[in-house]
Amino acid sequence: MAASILKTIACATARSTLPKTFRISTFMHLKVQKRGYDQYRMRYLKEMYQKRLDVGPEKQRRRSEWINWNYDAEIYAFGQRLGEEFNESTLRQAFINRSYVEGERKKREELGIDIEAVPLQLEDNTELAEEGFALMSSYVKVYLRNIYPYMFEEGISAVHDYLTTDKMLAHIAKHVGCEDLILSEEFPVLESTLSTAFKAVIGALFNDKGQEQAERFVRDFVITQLIEKDINELWHIVNPMGLLKAMLSLNGKGEPEPRLLWKSGANTIMSLYWVGIYSDKEFIAKSPGETVLIAEEMAAREAIKRIMKTDDSRAPLIIGRAAENLMLDYNRVNISAEDIIQKFYEKSHSEKNSSTS
Amino acid sequence: MSNNAIPRDFLKNVLQNGMGRYVCQLQRITFRFCKSHPGSRHMRDFIENHMLDFTQKNPGVVVYLQPRRHRPPSIVAEFLNGRREMMEMIDKEPEEICKWTEHMRGRSGVQIVNMIRNNHTETPSTQGIWHPFMFRDSETALTKFPNPQLSAVKQTGKTATDYLLEEVEKK
Repeated sequence: MAASILKTIACATARSTLPKTFRISTFMHLKVQKRGYDQYRMRYLKEMYQKRLDVGPEKQRRRSEWINWNYDAEIYAFGQRLGEEFNESTLRQAFINRSYVEGERKKREELGIDIEAVPLQLEDNTELAEEGFALMSSYVKVYLRNIYPYMFEEGISAVHDYLTTDKMLAHIAKHVGCEDLILSEEFPVLESTLSTAFKAVIGALFNDKGQEQAERFVRDFVITQLIEKDINELWHIVNPMGLLKAMLSLNGKGEPEPRLLWKSGANTIMSLYWVGIYSDKEFIAKSPGETVLIAEEMAAREAIKRIMKTDDSRAPLIIGRAAENLMLDYNRVNISAEDIIQKFYEKSHSEKNSSTS
Repeated sequence: MSNNAIPRDFLKNVLQNGMGRYVCQLQRITFRFCKSHPGSRHMRDFIENHMLDFTQKNPGVVVYLQPRRHRPPSIVAEFLNGRREMMEMIDKEPEEICKWTEHMRGRSGVQIVNMIRNNHTETPSTQGIWHPFMFRDSETALTKFPNPQLSAVKQTGKTATDYLLEEVEKK
């Protein structure tokens, strides 16, 4: 007890002798031997950590703001990386977004430069993107129709839409290195801007090297995104049983007849039903489900998958070197599910009318 | 401990690379060194003797040189997936710098992680996974259990009792 009182008195006297500007913490440190390098480095790091918390995260900057940046070299490397020989001026144009041109024009107006006297020699990538998109869109459809000849036209469109969304194209554009090269007003670069730039790159290739080379590019970078993707999930069929019924009836077969094959764990949360679909007592497809209705619908989907020949055991996509000599029929159009259902209704109506009259 | 701290993941392929055509995933590489300090001696040697070979072989990679006064040498690799990796080149001889440059060129840019398995697929089975009903006789679908016929012991061949009875009859 006495020792602790003595200690506090000693401390108090020591404190009173110090000038007021001294902090207690500094004073405490004076007692510790400080010869090591880590003594002040620790404090420095703590200070920097606190400062970072106060200031907030670093501002996002364009890659071109750093000193190691050479746009000419980057443009050259872009073509070389992808194994394509672009015309340099077209490739440069492919990366100029419309917002950039407008921004430049505005800047000149603010500076008081007459645009007519000193014309802004910049063309944006809108036209190239339109050309590129038209080529990509048609080639993706032609390719899919030839690879999946039995798939319905609606399914082909669904897969095509999946491949040509802004999200997918922006993803591809980022991974071939477009993001840093794009000239646009906004930053970070928007998905739509990335997608336009990628379309414009295809357009530039089409202009420089022709249709065949551009199609090869689309096949290698866009269509490969279907790998490991279940294409049957991309097309949502609203009434699979109706479509199956129409298909079977037009082929001269009997109505689809769902039968319960197996069941297990009924009235539990782990219930399982296997429903098979038969037509003229011939097995077509079967599928499991939590309830009989779900299993029946899934079995109908399975049957349509079989009809379209896109089941899980289908052959892999023909891409890469194997696709070099692919003979594609450009005028091919697959059967449309809508047509089939329409025909089926016309047929059933005429049968009804004839039976009543 | 370290096994928990190091991230674990499946094998990944960036943008299905190599399925259509192969694209080198190294986008740009920066060699940082000091022009005068002896610490950067090997890096300067590398730049004089080996760097041009690398650039000629890989026109798709943008190479930058960044002299920094009295700072240790290093290489910075930037990959197409947006990742950037810095590696110190202190005390590394030109041959070793060549090796690390090649290492960066051959990488996919994905963070180096522990592999959960050496192979990975999104479609483990094309013919459908096994389920308890797969090879079951369809007759059992309508049978009511317990069934005396199905509960009977399956007999294959002669039993010991049969054999003994036969022997007795013979005698």
